[in-house]
Amino acid sequence: MENSVDMKKAQNKLQVGPSPHIRTRRTTKSMMIEMLIALVPPIIAASYFFGWWVFVQLAVASGVAVLSEYAFQKMTHRKVTIKDCSALVTGTLLGLSFPVTAPLWVVTVTSIFAIVVVKQWNAGLGNGGIGRNYLNPAVTARVCAKIFFTPFFTDWVLPTGFSAGPYGGVDAVSSSTPLEFIGHGAQSVSNQVPALRELFLGVNLGGNIGETSKLAILIGMLYLIFRRIISPKIPLLFIGSTVLVMCFWGSFDLEFMLTHALTGTLFFGATYMATDYSSGALTPAGKTVFAIGGGVLTALLRLVFDYPGGLGIAIIIMNICAPFIDQKLMPRIYGHKKRPNVKFDRQNPNQL
Amino acid sequence: MEFSFMYKEGGAHPDEQKGFTDSKPIIDASVPKLMAYPIAMHIGAPAAPIVEVGDQVKVGQMIAKEGGFVSAHVYSSVSGEVVAIEKRAQAGGGEVDSIIVKNDYAYTRAEPIVKPGYSSETSNKEIIDTIRKAGIVGMGGASFPAAVKLAPPEEAKIDTIILNGAECEPYSTSDHRVMLEYTDEIIKGIDIVSQLYPDLKNIYIGIEDNKKDVKEVLEKATAANKKVAVQTLKAMYPQGSEKNLIKSLTGREVQPGELPADVHVILLNVSSARAVYHACELGEPLIERVISVSGAPVKNPQNLKVRIGTPMESVIDDCEGFSEIPGKVLSGGPMMGGAVGDLSVPISKGMTAISVLTRKEAQIEEPENCIMCSECLHVCPVSLQPILISEAFERGDIEKAEKLGAMDCIECGNCSFICPSKIPLLENIRGAKAAIQARQEG
Repeated sequence: MENSVDMKKAQNKLQVGPSPHIRTRRTTKSMMIEMLIALVPPIIAASYFFGWWVFVQLAVASGVAVLSEYAFQKMTHRKVTIKDCSALVTGTLLGLSFPVTAPLWVVTVTSIFAIVVVKQWNAGLGNGGIGRNYLNPAVTARVCAKIFFTPFFTDWVLPTGFSAGPYGGVDAVSSSTPLEFIGHGAQSVSNQVPALRELFLGVNLGGNIGETSKLAILIGMLYLIFRRIISPKIPLLFIGSTVLVMCFWGSFDLEFMLTHALTGTLFFGATYMATDYSSGALTPAGKTVFAIGGGVLTALLRLVFDYPGGLGIAIIIMNICAPFIDQKLMPRIYGHKKRPNVKFDRQNPNQL
Repeated sequence: MEFSFMYKEGGAHPDEQKGFTDSKPIIDASVPKLMAYPIAMHIGAPAAPIVEVGDQVKVGQMIAKEGGFVSAHVYSSVSGEVVAIEKRAQAGGGEVDSIIVKNDYAYTRAEPIVKPGYSSETSNKEIIDTIRKAGIVGMGGASFPAAVKLAPPEEAKIDTIILNGAECEPYSTSDHRVMLEYTDEIIKGIDIVSQLYPDLKNIYIGIEDNKKDVKEVLEKATAANKKVAVQTLKAMYPQGSEKNLIKSLTGREVQPGELPADVHVILLNVSSARAVYHACELGEPLIERVISVSGAPVKNPQNLKVRIGTPMESVIDDCEGFSEIPGKVLSGGPMMGGAVGDLSVPISKGMTAISVLTRKEAQIEEPENCIMCSECLHVCPVSLQPILISEAFERGDIEKAEKLGAMDCIECGNCSFICPSKIPLLENIRGAKAAIQARQEG
């Protein structure tokens, strides 16, 4: 037949193999790239408010993350996996988690810690690597950094616009973060806290560079949900349960409740960190418990334990609990009466 | 758009690819000189040839007799001479004894299997006997002998018949066209089957919501019968799997080791219902079926009415051949179908479609590390945790794989399809199942 391929020729080239014969176009790398795309709005907001120095900070954080993964894998004779872009995501998340005043050496040390100690070495809890670390690298590293390098995390400056230089520029004015005013067991909003609109947009707000504009984070969150990269229930239940606890604590004071929702790392953490695959829960019911647990703990740490930076600790606690939650909440198999009762093991079967 | 926008659980959404053929009317396939009839086109014991080389056969003449209770007769779909009985490649892989008939193009018909003209006085036993005689098997792909399935023990108290028209595999459109063009024959087939069950309350026709035209036609045709309800289900893979369909339409779950009849349900593919009508009303055995031939490398994709035993290459020729060298030719759809390595493989009773993939589409990338995205959990229709079973198998921990429900896997392929790290999850689960079975057998 004209223009047709010869049947015998076609026959000789036929491939065989087990079903299914098609695969989704999505790959690990493409998912990580979508994650990076979702970080673009916070990055734009960060540079708009805190200046071009933000890009230097981000470049150092993500560059060091990728390099340290490469170096670690080379030194331990493992397969180098920097091409999957996961270290880049961790580095970028971390870069957004510092105030603009943080010195670059602090950023560097924290970034190395996140990749080498938390991700690859898995904090000594077993074989690490992508998908196998029990703790969220970005969260754990920033919590540790906050403990060891406290002075560099208290020097908050108000945003001075894109042209501001390193460390907030010469005009930088020190300030406190809004959360410090409503923490410490307060039940209502002090008049030193900026208006809700400012909190939402990030205008005139000191803080970690990626976290001040809730609007930017919300755009990123919606992108991740619509692209099916994250389950919407994690950020929504996380933020929702923090807000609910605040609602009761503040005796249904709407302003108090919303101020808590819009301050600190809550939005950023619930969107980009609580949704981390490898340190979060795997099962559908487990994800629900993980998110609610994280949200409630964040609220309690902020209130009862007088600890404003509670989100990081809350996520770490939930990270540790995640395998146990999953073990108890494995889905019931179709046609079975009980859930399977099996020890939940998340170690890589193919690694030494 | 590969992914539907909102986040859903319990199914995947591979590209439907139905546009190649879903609006094309069924046409008759050409009949080649040589036809091949494998003696095992069904689940169960192979049939035993009852003709010899040199025999003359007619259209609709039995050429192989069922080999046991769970088995099915094989009929010739052309008239001519038996020229060989030999091993031939078959769609499921491997070789099987096949009866080769040289077509004389006279199409002399054999006697009908029963006197044509079904009447409502026919007893249940006669109906089942006729279905058995016709060699009907599940035509949705499973190929289980229909006479066995339709005659469960009386205690089963069948109260629901589900007519499976979901057709959730990408590319496949044969059931769609059959429902549209042979509506009356299907409805008559259901009428015959529904007579078998005194406790019958509901007849559901399950179709996916991507077949709006079918819904209208079926609703019109069944308006008089109060028991029949046409149910549209969300287009999702594997909506048409037995367990999934029963759950979606009746809310019942089939326990492990049980059959649909144990939850008072009989499932029938739409083409099987049509075959029941042909057998009982016209006295015709199962000698033809409708298949869709589709995929980007096929020059002119079609829905064809094909005589069983026609080699695939003849059917592909009817579609003007390939426009490019294909990657894979599949009997069935890309999710559960089998890759065919030999185009002389004949069309069998349970073959719903020939789907052809380009070399690019058929390419499967190397596996990477699992990132624990948990997509495989979300798409598993029976709520397994495919990655955990796969890893237990890789560790050699067969006991754990069993506890995690490896044996409940229906092998729909969703987990392997959805995995961004391209881990061969289903292959590993199949490995676990084989190991569990081997252990049970000691």
